[in-house]
Amino acid sequence: MRISDFLNESLITVSLNHTDKTGIIEELLDLAVESGKIVNRSDALKAVLDREALMSTGLEKGIAIPHAKSSTAKEICMSLGVSKMGIDFDSADGKPSHLIFFLLAPEAAAGQNVQMLAQIARLTGDPSFCEALESAQSAAEAYEIIRKAES
Amino acid sequence: MAGNGPIERILLYVDGSEECITAAQYSIALAKTTHAELIAIYVVNVSLLQELTKARIFVKIEEMDYEHDLEQDGKRYLHYISEMAGSKGVEIETELTKGVVNKEIVRLVEEMNADLLVMGELNPVLSRSDTYHDEAELIFRKSKCSVLIVKNPDSVEQIYSQLS
Repeated sequence: MRISDFLNESLITVSLNHTDKTGIIEELLDLAVESGKIVNRSDALKAVLDREALMSTGLEKGIAIPHAKSSTAKEICMSLGVSKMGIDFDSADGKPSHLIFFLLAPEAAAGQNVQMLAQIARLTGDPSFCEALESAQSAAEAYEIIRKAES
Repeated sequence: MAGNGPIERILLYVDGSEECITAAQYSIALAKTTHAELIAIYVVNVSLLQELTKARIFVKIEEMDYEHDLEQDGKRYLHYISEMAGSKGVEIETELTKGVVNKEIVRLVEEMNADLLVMGELNPVLSRSDTYHDEAELIFRKSKCSVLIVKNPDSVEQIYSQLS
């Protein structure tokens, strides 16, 4: 399962407007909402923030993966925010997050959701991939980096 | 009644993909014509869930929740395939198990003395990493019995629909 099958340029931003965790999550959610894959924005936001409240999805080495399941997602929704400066995402290693992968899946897509999360983990385990993606100057460039990494 | 030709017991690997439905259609046709026993297996990938928890992507309660979801998915897929077989007068056993997917399938192939493992078409191998992580690819390589990869869904659909 490829991340690049669920992303496109309109779902990626390399110029995040917000600098706080909730603001970033809402910004990335809005990209998915604009794609028409989410029925109710409030329900989607609640699902992701509820998950965040259990434990921060800020991982180590600059990666964050805010995610949830929700019946308000028509299909798997993914968006990506790239922050060169880094965002305080309450991460496991205390360091700022630079690559924020947002993922919202329908309740009935457990298998696909798990595969997508595993694929994100796999790709971001490669430091050269992360470095290249953090340096992307545009959404198009970021998408191409991901597409090439999966080919 | 088990077949007494070269194929007596067929194992069908079920993963919920469209490709595995095509494989199910073909294995039902094969079981009907060879009188082989047919067993459909779905494995809940608990090892992957545990890896996601270990990587802090999942919290424990999330891991348990997804395990339950995957189990329900598996039951649904197996039930659907049972109905497909039943509609063609083919008996089928189903089994839902948990663990490392490729290891479970390889184990069951041996335990059940399967002559043939039937699977859906493999995903294209896009990188070396795929060969290490793609469960279907690993099953294909590690299986101790012959493996049939079912392709050409349109043709298989025709074969299946023509079964009486």
